[in-house]
Amino acid sequence: MRDVVIVGGSIAAVTAADALRQQGHDGPITIVSDERHAPYVRPPLSKGMLKGTESVDSVFMAPLRADLDFRPKTRARGLDLGRRRVLLEGGEELPYDGLVVASGARARRLGPPEAGELVVRDLDDALRLRESLTTARSVVIVGGGFLGMEIASTARGLGLDVTVVDRDPPLVRQFGAFLAGHMTRAALAAGVRLVHAPDGVRLAGTPATAVLTGDGAPLEADVIVTAAGDLPNVEWLAGSGLGGPGGLLVDERCRVAPGVVAAGDVVTRVSDHTDLPRRSPHWGSAIDQARAAALALLKGDEAPEYRPSPYYWTEQWGLDIKICGRILPGCETHVVTGSMEEGSALLQWTRDGATVAAATVNHRMPVVKLRKLAAAPVPERTTG
Amino acid sequence: MRIIVDEARCEGYGFCAEAAPHLLELDDEGELTVLTEQVGQDERADAEAAVRVCPVAALKLAP
Repeated sequence: MRDVVIVGGSIAAVTAADALRQQGHDGPITIVSDERHAPYVRPPLSKGMLKGTESVDSVFMAPLRADLDFRPKTRARGLDLGRRRVLLEGGEELPYDGLVVASGARARRLGPPEAGELVVRDLDDALRLRESLTTARSVVIVGGGFLGMEIASTARGLGLDVTVVDRDPPLVRQFGAFLAGHMTRAALAAGVRLVHAPDGVRLAGTPATAVLTGDGAPLEADVIVTAAGDLPNVEWLAGSGLGGPGGLLVDERCRVAPGVVAAGDVVTRVSDHTDLPRRSPHWGSAIDQARAAALALLKGDEAPEYRPSPYYWTEQWGLDIKICGRILPGCETHVVTGSMEEGSALLQWTRDGATVAAATVNHRMPVVKLRKLAAAPVPERTTG
Repeated sequence: MRIIVDEARCEGYGFCAEAAPHLLELDDEGELTVLTEQVGQDERADAEAAVRVCPVAALKLAP
């Protein structure tokens, strides 16, 4: 293996490059990123940076290794698998022996570009929203998942009138009924208005000035934010035979095709739980997949299989929540220590008697321990 | 070159210790320990890789 091309400029791309070098690859590595910025971390974009407690400068990663060819503002527009070439906008072709696809995902939008809805996916999105929140009095957020509720928490903290609208109750899909119920009560206590729109919503106005639900009055606000999931960036692979609307399907070693591996938010893999392909767009997944993908590129079948250990976190309403495992539908919740009422707790979830997830709420614990608890039996004395 | 941990920022994710296990270790209490006080030139790239994977910017390299 000589020339490696990495498409993408975020944590999966950077980690893949680091892992390739750590594993001894000394050939040229070219990273093409369509962003104008140097690589930065995304988790603070909807948290500390949006609040203003973290500076913009603090989101940038330490400078990349000098032995990488990092090309910002460079967009891949095609892949020629047979000739092993990444086709760039502008006509240049990058030959590769190994390709890492880390092209990520983008925010899903409800309206056409002229609707002007705000999203939070990249640094420029977050800067725009931060600016808007400083002058606006009201915000409607479409989407009650992690991102939507983190934005709601920040906006409320800034004193805005905040409405969150979703077709599902907030956070139930991510947290299960018990924890979602608690977070919903915290949001309501903070003064957020939650609107249930089972038939979905539409934007009204150009630029958007209101959100229309199936039946209720228009939800008007100075700022409309869409936080309704993301779409994997696979369009540039059209015609290559790789990738579909659900992402780029990888095997158990993050491989896609001969000489091609993938990592991060663009990746979809068959879930151990459901046998259905799904993405896991989290910081930890991007890092773990990038390391697995780099090893697979260099060692093929000799590389260890990628074993997902889902790990993700959120901060909202003064609660710092960290989760290992997956809180599946139909799980039973166990409060192991503390209580939600006290604002600090350790939780476990079981399904058919087996522990499938564990979480801390304002409760500091090493991740290694939390990982173990995500598969460890629940102490008998607990109830939930 | 030294690795500096901002203990107030570190939340014990452990991604850094996985990136550079010979330089950093997360103990059972979730405290991050710097195993090597002075990072040599040959270890610098690994130290930088560890700094990059921290989602809360709790690690820095200082001369």
